[in-house]
Amino acid sequence: MTPPSDPRLLVHAYVDGELDPAHALEVERQLASDPALAAERDRVEALRRAIAQQLPRENAPPGLARRVEAALGLRAARAVSGPSWRALAASVAVAAFLGSGATWLALSPGPADADMVVANHMRALIAPQPFDVGSSDRHTVKPWFNGRIPEAPRVVDLASEGFPLVGGRIDVVGRNPVPTLVYRHRQHLISLSALPIGRATPMPPEQIAGYNIVSWAENGLTYWAVSDLAAADLNTFAKAFRTAGPG
Amino acid sequence: MASLKSEDDQARFARVVQPHLADAYALARWLTGNRADAEDVVQEACLRAFRGIGGFAGVNARAWVLTIVRHAAYTWLGKNRSAALLVVDDLESIERQQATGGDASGEGPQTPEAALIEKADARQLETAIAELPVPFRETLVLRDVQGLDYREIAEVTKVPIGTVMSRLARARRRLMERVAMDETKGGR
Repeated sequence: MTPPSDPRLLVHAYVDGELDPAHALEVERQLASDPALAAERDRVEALRRAIAQQLPRENAPPGLARRVEAALGLRAARAVSGPSWRALAASVAVAAFLGSGATWLALSPGPADADMVVANHMRALIAPQPFDVGSSDRHTVKPWFNGRIPEAPRVVDLASEGFPLVGGRIDVVGRNPVPTLVYRHRQHLISLSALPIGRATPMPPEQIAGYNIVSWAENGLTYWAVSDLAAADLNTFAKAFRTAGPG
Repeated sequence: MASLKSEDDQARFARVVQPHLADAYALARWLTGNRADAEDVVQEACLRAFRGIGGFAGVNARAWVLTIVRHAAYTWLGKNRSAALLVVDDLESIERQQATGGDASGEGPQTPEAALIEKADARQLETAIAELPVPFRETLVLRDVQGLDYREIAEVTKVPIGTVMSRLARARRRLMERVAMDETKGGR
């Protein structure tokens, strides 16, 4: 570029590292002989430091990527599309398997849906909030799903059983958006995803990457509960959900 | 329609646009002034980017995405903050006059100390940046918050590099003076 002759403008370009060596040398010579110019350089550098410290780059709000995909009709493409949060979560999960020595899952074909359900749960725990809609009121949570997925899941509040509802979100398993309810038991969160039957068959309770999983079939859906709760407590939760009235 | 796009376009979108969502959102937030509208602008921009993904030349994905975000934000400003853009037109002509008049230094009465500037807190800086006219604000944000170089900023804002330089200098000077004003008022 051809820099303008005004040395005050050139100081900005100098501070920003935009000058070629010849012009940078020229500015440095002027800075050495002109205290006012040197003071301007100090001010520009001070301002840049203040901005860098006080206004760090913000992350996109949680869920924005998913809303964009939904708006573009890309939800289904998510599973095949490059580095995404879910791919990240999956790689975290794989790393966790490898790290924990439970390498059989990473090496064998394994129950892929269970992996994805666990990855979704892990991702939810990493995110600022584990739900898209946060509410203990099932009359708020259930309608939220309407219009976002073909069929809203059964939503029941299990507070009286010690598992209060905290919200809901939409996960992606394979290429299907699936409803996930979030419950709490003491300090532990439970993700309960409802998958279309045929997509997944229930399996015996098991542990993946340190999370307990319980699954069962009900009314054309398979339910998958994931939590770091003890297996016995998670079974209690599953039983409470199954025996609760229609949501 | 989006659903008729080929898998390739979807994969391209994921590769080209999605890594820059945070940058897209940041620029949209600084231009619209709030988070909810920024999300709308980003969604609109993504729609445009997805439709135009075939036109991406494959050089600088971030600059390409930010260019589209800026367009979408300007459309939004035109609909919702048309006053902001009117003021901008005036300022642009003033800027041109001053540039041709040779007075680009913009030396104001207040030249705060560097130490004072460095003490500015987040609220002061946010307010001062929000008060900048749009062309100065976007230039400063792209450089000092988002870290683009002059050439990229020129590409995104569609002006010559010389204009990037003068806008950046002006924006920074306004921020300095604003911070100094806050201090002398004894606000803190």
